[in-house]
Amino acid sequence: MTETTNWEPKIIAFLCNWCSYAGADLAGVSRFQYPPNIRIVRVPCSGRVSENMIMSALKSGADGILVSGCHPGDCHYISGNYFARRRFALLSNLLDFIGIESGRVNFSWVSASEGEQFAEVVQSVTERVKALGPATRLVKKIDALETELLIA
Amino acid sequence: MIEEWNKVHVVYVPAMEKQAAASPDWAPGWCRLDSSSIALTFPLPIGPTPASVKTFFFPQPETLLTYTLENNHPDKGLMREPERSRDMQVVLGVRPCDARSVLLNNLPYQEDQFFQANRQRTALVGFSCDQTLSTCFCTRMGGSPLDSEGLDLALSRTEDGFLIEVCSEKGEALVADLELAPAPESDISALAARRNAGGNPSATELDSLKGSELGTLYDAPLWQSLGEACINCGACTFICPTCYCFDIQDEVVRGQGRRIRYWDSCMFPLYSLHTSGHNPRGQKVQRTRNRFLHKLKYFPDRFGPFSCVGCGRCVQDCPVNIDIREVMDDLIHLTAVE
Amino acid sequence: MPTINKRISEEIRAQARKLLEEGEVAAVLGYGAGSLPMTVKPLVVRNPEDCSKLIWNTFCVLNLANYLPAALKSVEPPRGPRDPKPEGPLPKVAILVTGCWSRNIVVQIQEHQVARDRVVVMGVGSRGMVSRRKVAALFPGLEILAVKEGDHELVVQGADFAETINRWSVVRDNCQSCTHPDPVLVDVRIGEPVSERKNPNPFMQVDAIEQKTGDERWAWFTAEFATCIRCYACRNACPLCYCPTCFVDDAKPQWVGKSLDAVDTGLFHILRAYHCAGRCTDCGTCETVCPMGINMRMLTKKLNKDVLNLYNIEAGMEPDAPLPLTTYTMDDPEKFIATEVTPVPGAVKEGK
Repeated sequence: MTETTNWEPKIIAFLCNWCSYAGADLAGVSRFQYPPNIRIVRVPCSGRVSENMIMSALKSGADGILVSGCHPGDCHYISGNYFARRRFALLSNLLDFIGIESGRVNFSWVSASEGEQFAEVVQSVTERVKALGPATRLVKKIDALETELLIA
Repeated sequence: MIEEWNKVHVVYVPAMEKQAAASPDWAPGWCRLDSSSIALTFPLPIGPTPASVKTFFFPQPETLLTYTLENNHPDKGLMREPERSRDMQVVLGVRPCDARSVLLNNLPYQEDQFFQANRQRTALVGFSCDQTLSTCFCTRMGGSPLDSEGLDLALSRTEDGFLIEVCSEKGEALVADLELAPAPESDISALAARRNAGGNPSATELDSLKGSELGTLYDAPLWQSLGEACINCGACTFICPTCYCFDIQDEVVRGQGRRIRYWDSCMFPLYSLHTSGHNPRGQKVQRTRNRFLHKLKYFPDRFGPFSCVGCGRCVQDCPVNIDIREVMDDLIHLTAVE
Repeated sequence: MPTINKRISEEIRAQARKLLEEGEVAAVLGYGAGSLPMTVKPLVVRNPEDCSKLIWNTFCVLNLANYLPAALKSVEPPRGPRDPKPEGPLPKVAILVTGCWSRNIVVQIQEHQVARDRVVVMGVGSRGMVSRRKVAALFPGLEILAVKEGDHELVVQGADFAETINRWSVVRDNCQSCTHPDPVLVDVRIGEPVSERKNPNPFMQVDAIEQKTGDERWAWFTAEFATCIRCYACRNACPLCYCPTCFVDDAKPQWVGKSLDAVDTGLFHILRAYHCAGRCTDCGTCETVCPMGINMRMLTKKLNKDVLNLYNIEAGMEPDAPLPLTTYTMDDPEKFIATEVTPVPGAVKEGK
C-alpha cells in the first residue's frame, strides 16, 4: 500500500481557548511554519479535556494526541490546569503501563504569547508520532469496506 | 475421527484455560482445534463446559449489515449483508444441558434468519455426563445428564470406548465416511437402562409454577431481599445458555459502518429504558425479578418449557451467590401455600 | 477454643442485635451463609430475630460499602421527589467493615454519598480473605464440596478427598499486599484490632509488569482482557461506581462500543480503572467477582501506586482531606510534560 511511504500522521490537538489556541493563532499571524498534521479542537480549558475524549480520539484512529493548556499559574479559571496536571500525569502513566507507546499522547503548556513555541511543540510532537508510525493499539477497526470488496 | 472432521470442517473444543483471542475464528470460551491441540479435547471437565454453546448460534456480536459512509465511494450509504461463512462448524464436548438450551432458544428464534443460519452450519457433538457437579440441576428442569436431545451426535462412555448415537442428518453426515464398528446390543440396552433409571424427567415439581397465578409470584416478598443483594451485573445472563436478549446498534469508525446485534441483559437499566426517559424496570428489584420470572413463568407460559436447563453456571459464578435453585424452592413453596 | 472468626461471628450477632433492639440503627449490613462452599451472601438485617443469620468467615470477599447508599435510602421514610425532608435525624444503618471497606466509606463521605452521622461502623480487623479461585486452582478437575476453616488452615473436602492447606497461601493478592488491615473508622469494635502490616513492597505485582518492555506490556494487557464478557460485575460490585449513568452507557457521544470488540473492552477497563484513580482502596472486589478471572485490579493498583508516589496520598485514610484529584499543589510533578519548551518554574511571563 502507498500508506507506508506517503503516510502522514493525524494528530488531534485539544487546545485551551485562552492560551494554546491563541498561541496557534499567533504562530499563524507571525508566519511560524509548523506541520499541517494537527487537527485542532478548541476547548475552554485544559481541565475540560477528559480522559474519555483522549481515549475516544485514539479509538477513532488518531495517530497522536496533543493536549495543550496554560502554564501553571496562568489558568483563566485560576486552577483548571492544576487539576488537569494531576489527571494527565496519572493518565499518561497508565497508558504507558498498558503498553501505549510514549509519545502518542502528549501534553504541553503554551501561552498566548508563545507563537514560536507553539510551532516548536507541534514540530516535535509530529516528529515523535512520525517516528512511531501509524497507531495500531486501541484503534477500532470496522472492515465494512473489505467485506464489500469481497462480495464485489 | 476428530482428525477427519478437522480436515473438512472448523472444529471447536471447550477452552480449558484462559485463551487469548488469537484468531478471528475464536469464540469466547471455545478454541478452534488445530492438529496440535487435539490433546486438549480430553478430558472434559465434570459438568458443563466453561462457556455455553450459545456463542455459536447467537454470536456476540453478530454483524447484520455493513456500509461505508466514505465520500466519493460509489457504494456510499448502501447497506449490504456481510458475507457469511458457510463452512460447517463442529462443536465437540457439548453437554446435554447445553444441547437442550439450543432447542429452547430456538422457540423464540424460530423465524430469526441469523439464528437459523447458524444452526444450519453448526453440528453439536455431545458427551453425556458420567458425573455431575453439586451445582447441576438439569433433572429438575426436565433434562437428563444422559440426554441426546438437541445433539447431532451423542457420545456416551462404555466400558471399552464410546457409544455413538446418531441423532440427526447432520450427525449422519459426520459419521458417513468413517469406519465405525456397529454398537453391541449390550451397550445400547445398558444406556437405555441407565436412562430409564433416571425416571421421567418431564414430571417436575416445578410444574406447579406454570398453572399458578402470576400475581402471587410477582408480589412475593422474596424479591425484595434478592433485589437488595443483587448488584445488577450481567454475569448470570451472559454465561447463561438460555438468555437470548439482544440490542442492535450502528457502529461507525472512520466512515466504515456496521450494524451489530449484541448481547443485552435485563439486569442493565438501559435494557428497559424508553426513549421518553421512562423506565418501567427502573429499580434493581424489578430487574432481578424479571430475570427469574421470565425463565420460570413468562417463557413457559408462552412456549411451554422453562427457559433454564439447569447447567448451574449462574449458581457458580454469581458474585453475590444468588442461587436460582433457592429461588425456585421459594416460589414452589409459595404456590403450594396458596 | 472456637476459631477467631467464630468468635467474631458471635460478637457481630450480639452487637447487631443490641443496635437493632435499642433502635440505634434501622438495618445492619452483613453477611449470611452462602449456598456453595466458600461463598457468602450479602444480607440486610432489619429485625433483631434475624441477627442469628449473620456470619463472619474467611470468605467475606464482597465489599459491603457498595450497598451502603442504597441501604441508607431504604430506611428513610418514603417520600416523593418534591416532598420536604422529614424533620429530625434520619434512621441509621450499621455496616460491617474491614480496613479497605472502611476506607471506601471514608471516600463515600468525602464524595457526599454517605452522611457520617447516619452510619454505625462495625469494624473488624481483617486477617485477609481467601480467594475461592485460588483454592479451586489447587484441586484441578475436582469439585470442592466443603471447606472447613481454622485460624491458619483450611480443610478442603471433596467427594473422595480431604486435604489441609495453609490459609495464607490462598489469601487474595490484594489482602496479601495490604498494609492497612484495620478499619480507619470504627464506632463499634468487633474482635481485636489488627496492627498495620509492614509490607516491604505492596506494589510487587505492578512492578513486575512495569519491568516489561512496552510491547510485552501491550501483549499482557490484550491477553488479560481478551476474555472479558462485558458483564460489568467489576463495575457494579465496586463501591466507587455510583454514577447514575456510567460512561459505558452514554450514547451521545458513545465513548465505548457495546460488543466484545477488543478495543472497546480495553477502553472500558482503562477508563473504569482511571475513574477510580485516587479513590480505590484495593479491596479486590472487582477481581473477585469477575466470572472470567480477569486481574483488572492491576490497573487500579498501578494508579494507587502513582497517586502515592506523586502526591503521597492513600485513598480513604482521612475523611477531612480532599481527594487527590480534587486538589493540587503548585509544584506537582510534571515530568510527563514532555515538550522541550517547558519553562523554568517561576519564570515570569508577559501578562494577558
